[in-house]
Formats: sequence, C-alpha cells, structure tokens
Amino acid sequence: MITARGLSKSYWVARHRRGALGAMRSLVDRSGREVRAVRDISFDVAAGEIVGYVGPNGAGKSTTIKMLTGILVPTAGEATVAGYVPWNQRKSLASKIGVVFGQRTQLWWDLPLIESLELLRFVYRVPVDRFQANLTEMRSLLDLDPFLETPVRQLSLGQRMRGDLAAAVLHEPPLLYLDEPTIGLDVVAKARVREFLARINRERGVTILLTTHDLADVEHLCRRMIIIDRGRLLYDGSVEALRQRHGSHRTLVVDLEAGATIDGFVRDGVELVRADGPRRWLRFDREAVSAASLISSVVARAPVVDVAIEEPAIEDIIRGIYEGGLRAEPAVSE
Amino acid sequence: MDSQIGAELAICRRLVGARLRGQMQYRGSFIAQIAGNFGVNFVELIAILILFSHFGAIGGWDVGEVAFLYGLSCTSFGIAHLLGSGFSSFSTLIHQGTFDRVLVRPVGTLLQVLAAEMQIRRLGEALQGVLVLGAAIGFVGIEWTVGRLVYLPIVLASAVLLYVALFAIEATVCFWTTQATEVLNAFTYGGSDMAQYPLHIYDGWLRGLLLFVVPIGFVIYLPSLYLLDKPDPLGLPGFVPFLAPVAALAFAMAAAALWRLGVRHYRSTGS
Amino acid sequence: MRLYFEVARRSFQRHLTYRVATLAGLFTNAVFGIFFSSVYRAFYQDGERGVVADFTLPEILTFVWIGQSLLMLVYLWNWWEVADSIRTGDVVSDLMKPMDFQLYWLSRDLGRASCHWLTRFVPTFAMGALLFDLAWPGTISTWLAFFISVNLAILVSFGWRFLLNLSAFWLLDVRGINTIAVLVLNFFSGLLVPIAFFPGWLRTVAEWLPFRAIVMVPVEVFLGQRTPQSALLIQAFWVVALRLLGQVVLNAAVRKLVVQGG
Repeated sequence: MITARGLSKSYWVARHRRGALGAMRSLVDRSGREVRAVRDISFDVAAGEIVGYVGPNGAGKSTTIKMLTGILVPTAGEATVAGYVPWNQRKSLASKIGVVFGQRTQLWWDLPLIESLELLRFVYRVPVDRFQANLTEMRSLLDLDPFLETPVRQLSLGQRMRGDLAAAVLHEPPLLYLDEPTIGLDVVAKARVREFLARINRERGVTILLTTHDLADVEHLCRRMIIIDRGRLLYDGSVEALRQRHGSHRTLVVDLEAGATIDGFVRDGVELVRADGPRRWLRFDREAVSAASLISSVVARAPVVDVAIEEPAIEDIIRGIYEGGLRAEPAVSE
Repeated sequence: MDSQIGAELAICRRLVGARLRGQMQYRGSFIAQIAGNFGVNFVELIAILILFSHFGAIGGWDVGEVAFLYGLSCTSFGIAHLLGSGFSSFSTLIHQGTFDRVLVRPVGTLLQVLAAEMQIRRLGEALQGVLVLGAAIGFVGIEWTVGRLVYLPIVLASAVLLYVALFAIEATVCFWTTQATEVLNAFTYGGSDMAQYPLHIYDGWLRGLLLFVVPIGFVIYLPSLYLLDKPDPLGLPGFVPFLAPVAALAFAMAAAALWRLGVRHYRSTGS
Repeated sequence: MRLYFEVARRSFQRHLTYRVATLAGLFTNAVFGIFFSSVYRAFYQDGERGVVADFTLPEILTFVWIGQSLLMLVYLWNWWEVADSIRTGDVVSDLMKPMDFQLYWLSRDLGRASCHWLTRFVPTFAMGALLFDLAWPGTISTWLAFFISVNLAILVSFGWRFLLNLSAFWLLDVRGINTIAVLVLNFFSGLLVPIAFFPGWLRTVAEWLPFRAIVMVPVEVFLGQRTPQSALLIQAFWVVALRLLGQVVLNAAVRKLVVQGG
C-alpha cells in the first residue's frame, strides 16, 4: 500500500532580522539555515496493516504524512502510495485516501454535520447508493444521529472527531491517514475512536497509518510501530518487542491515609521513586511483579486511599532508545 | 477534460450553496451588513456629489460621466468581491493551516478556495453600483448603438474578471507572507477607487501603473471613452477602448500562473 | 496610576514590534493620500477658483494628508479588542480586578497611540509634505494647539470606540454595527470631504455629532480656521460626555452580567 524509500525533507528557514529595514532585507536576501525535518526514511506498509507512527513533537511525523498525501514535495527520495507517486499524482491519489488532521476539521464550520458529509459526496463523486449505505453504517458505528443536524462549530471535540472520521471514510478509501486523532479527547472519546479504527480495519480491510504521541493508541490498535525522532527513523517493528525491551516498567501511584507510611517497603523488582505528601510512586517491572500482587502487598502494609497505575510515557521510551542507543529487533535501517 | 471541468463546476455550485445557508444563520447582523456595505459606498457617492456641487466638473468630465465611471467600477468590484470572497479571506486559511485540507481533495485548488467562501453581504456594494450606473446612463444620455449595447456587458464582465484576478493575486502573496495584505489592499480598494475618476487627472507614473501594471484603466476608463463618446486626452490609438476583454484575460492568466507558482512554493516549504 | 502607566508602556512596546504591518500601512496611506490629492488638484483646476468654502488648494491638500496621517492615530476603523474580550469571556476577570475598566483600556489605547504618533503620523505627514505643496501654520503656538487638539481627538475617538465595543454585551455579532459605524465615521468626521463643503443642513447635523472632533477640528486648528479655544471647548466636551456615557453603559452591562450571568 505504501512504499517509501529514502524520503527526506529539508526546509529553508530565512534568517530573522530585526527592525523594519531588516524585514525589507529579508525579502531580498534569503540567507538562513536549513532544517532537516525528515532524513532518509524508508518503510513499507502492507495492505490491511495498522501502523503507529510515533515520535515527540517536531520529530517529523506530520511532514512525513504530508509527503505521503502529496501535500508536500520531498527534497529527496521516492514513494508510491496505492500505486501513485503522491506529489506527482496528488488529485488522483486524493480519491484513494482518507485524511484526518486531529486539530483541524475538514468539515464546514457553520454547516450541520449532515450537510458537510453530503458536500463531500460531491467532492469525492461517491455514487448515491454507496453514499447512503456508508452513511447508514457510519451513523450507527459512530453514533452520529444525536448531532447530525448540529452545526459543526457547536460540536464537542469528541463529536467533531467522530464527524471527521465519518467524513474521511465515506468515499471508501483503502488507506487512511490520521494525524493525532485522539489529541485533546477524553478517555471515553479516545476509546471510541480506537474502537472505530479497529473495526474498519478488520471489516473493510482499510490500511491505517496514524501518528500519535499517546502510546495507548498504539497499544490498542497497532501491532507495528515506527518511531522517529529529529527526522530519523529509530525503530520499526512490533509494539510487543518494543515494550518488552524499553517499556517494561510501570508505576504504581498510591495515596496513603494521613499519617500512614510505607517507608522501608522492599520487594524485588519494585523501587520507590518519589514521595510527595501522602503520595508515593513505586516503579515496578511488569514481568517480575503483577500489579495486583503489588497493590495487595502495599495495602497490607499501610491503609491506602487511592491507587493508580501509570504506563510509561512514549516520550520516555523514545528518549530511552535515543539516549541509550539500544537498538531493538528487528533492526532499524538508517 | 471538459467533463472534468463540468464536474468541478457542479461541486463548486454545491459548495457555494452550502456557504449561503451557513450565512443566513445570523440574520440580523447579516441584513445590517448588506445595508452597511450599501451605505459605505453610498456615503462615498454623497461625498462625490458634494464635491461636484462646488466644482462642477473634474478633468472636463461632468457629474453624470463620473457617476458612470463610479457605477461601472462599483458594480464590477462588488461582484468580484462577492465571487472572490474566498481569496480575500485566504490569509486565515493559510494561518490556520487549512490549506492542507484543500490539497488532499480531488478537486482543483483555485476552485476550492473560490468556493470556500461567498460573502453575500457584498451584494450591497454591487447593488449600489448598479443603481448608480443605471442613474448615470439615464443622466448622461448615452447614444445607444448596437456596438455600445453589446460592449457594455463585455466591459462589465472584463472588469469583474480583472478585479477577481486582483483578489487572487492578493491571496497568492499569502503563500509567501501573510503580513503584506494591507499593501495589497491598496491595490484592490485603491485601484477601484481611482477607477471612479477619469484616468487623465493622475500624474503620468500613476496612469502608467493603472494601464500597464494593474490594467484597471483598460477595463473602466478607456471603454468609457467609447461608451460616453468622449475624446481621448491621452492620444492613444483608436482601438484601445476595445481592449478591455484582452487586458482582463491577460491579467487573469498572469494571476493564475502566479497562483500555481504559489501552490508549488507552498508544497515545497509547507509553510 | 503606576498600573495604567505600565499598561500603556507595554502597549506602546507591543505596537512598536509590528514593523511589517507599519510599512504596509504607510504604503496604503501614501496611495490614498496621492489619490485624494490628485482628485482635489483636478477639481480645483476645473473650477478655476482659488478658494472653495474657505479652502485653497494647498489647504485642501493639507486636509488630505492630515486625514491620512490621523487615520491610524485615532484608530478610526475596526478596533474591537474590548468586544473580543467580551465574546471570549476574558472580560469577567478584567472586571473583577481592582482597577477602572475604562481607564485600563484607555491606557492601552494611549500606549498604542504614542507609538502611532511616531510610526504612522509623522512619516505619513512627511510624505505628504515631500510630494505636495502644503499650507503651513505661521506660528509655534498653532503647532502647539494642533498637537493638543490631535491628542484630544484620540481621547474622543477612544470614548466612541469604547462605547461601540460595549455593544458586544448585548449583540452576538458586531460585524453589522461595525460596518455602519465605519460609514458614519467616514462621513461625519469630515474625512471624505471637509465639513465646510457640506450643504447647510448636513453641516448642522455634523456639528451636533462628536465625530468632527476626531478629524475635522484638528485640521481646522492646523489651518487657522478655528481658534484653539473653541477647538478645546468642543473636544473637551465630547471627551467628558463620552467618558460618562461609557461609564453608564458599562454599569448597565455589569448589572446585566450579574443578573443574567452573562
């Protein structure tokens, strides 16, 4: 579905000059510095896969997606997407892909959702019967009915995202790009988005490439992930392998009853990493210790008000890979 | 290819229809804006009439003849402003990064931007222009020949095309910088204001600018010489009053080429 | 007092950073200045009259260029910062602060205006003086009176704009009222045509409205057509009247906010 070979994108950032004269000079003299947003990235995505494309802010995720949709022309490298070269055959490719930008809607701001969807039928030239069938399915899958007649500007973020998801798949694209589809959503809305994506992947065989910095998205949806940082590809392989290697630690957060203490609590594979007032952070190896047994041993020692388990943040894992230089299997091409 | 363009126009019509429905939502403010847009031009007209009440004529043209220029310029500018609304709000599209969305759809970029916005309130401008144009035609008593009858709508269409192209250029510049919009306003608003008076009252350099850089003179002033049967104080060849469609088309083609250049720039920098 | 000074200083500095916008604005002022000057020059040639409604050609050109120079200084169009803060709800926290709400916005506006004195008024007027033959005052005291009169014009303009902005407490969309405000201001401030050119009854209307204190009165002072004393009287009256009116409307708005919870 996607083949990318040596994709690179550099920007030229003009030097910023002070003062009105400086602004005038900047118009003529284009000296500045080169920013290499994406450097020599290669990967393949097979039809039917869900691939998580992750990395911290500014890593080059959006730039890659923009090249693979045909919005941006790369500085170097080759790619084919659904049989097209994206930047040369942008309009042909457009009918084969669905795109969701998490922070920007592609719906018409002041129109009811249903009208936006109907307009997109014309934009993508979807036959009426296919459109109706798809719309009916989306209405039940995404539960659109309660706000189908509401202008998009009045929708909550979660509702809007559901509308955007429907809009992205109405023309039955075999490939779906999602740029931060869960950003800013609450837990329930996030779960809903994930469930929808898993379902259209399973039932329609839609290939999905999604960028995110929420590891939970990747954990729920993807078997495979690609990690980039500072424009470079750092990891391409299964999520499971990555977690085993770098994300095996979780943190138990306990709120003790006033005056209670667990000082001196010792257990193999568990480490007290932080204490703040009645709150304690216990880092534990999920391979060695189960969360349930850890909680029960803490509760046995001191009265506990509340507990929570924190997953390792994707940034931490990526930082770990980046700093430690630990290369996970399968090997990474660079 | 033809069916391609036909399909794109059909989409365009749908998008525009949707925009109209969207705007009807704030009805009170909407009506106030149409009235206000009408009024802004109306007040300018009153100002012109006040000046004529003191001076009688400008550059040898009387109040009816200047009203004709004014009506021609206002009508075409109003229609162009309406049609080109998507261009005049284009800097927001670039600012919010929404242009990416335009690029991932299987429809031409120019059409999508044009159809993205349609500010009906600008109908007020065009309406006022039409009224003044009608009154001026009655007042100056044009000697109607077949040629003049046929040419007047062609002149209007040319002027609309030229103003739309001017708005398109204003939008295109946003691909490079969104800070210079006010400079471009000087060309659009300034240009249409200057077209309300006979071109020969301006200094040579300004006349040259209005003829050969932004050819507003070719679509308003020069055709009016023929339509109103006025002598040409600039001494240009006899066929120049008929160049309105040529000048407008050439300018529009230049604007379209510039737009493509702008999209290419956007796609290589992404900013 | 220190608060208001600091607010003004920050506003001054912020506006100083809009360099590209300033250059663009000066270009626009120059284009329209040249346009209006060309039109008046041609009218005076056709009329073959030296003086029209007390204006000679150099005097009318001076009127044109003072008008263009004043535009940004008195911020004639499209100032909706207070309305925006009302729409977003930020206004509530501003109203709860122990400060005079109107004075706070006035300080911001004065900071902006001091910046525009330097970056908009002086350069635009200088361009006019370079390109056209203007009429200059004979005495230092006229210059001084003009300077005072322009500053009073800023205060009158602020009072009017503040009132307009408060309408956002009652209206959802201020675009309609904005369009109408622009057309009334353009005409009755004397920006388009000097008020002395108006036919009798229209002149009477203009003289009862506050808008001439924003553009026309400073021009008349500069050209020596009006004594500094009468200018001061007119402008000071409107400064005080608009300030009081603004306070009354603001109190009504706050009452509405308290009663209806916004």
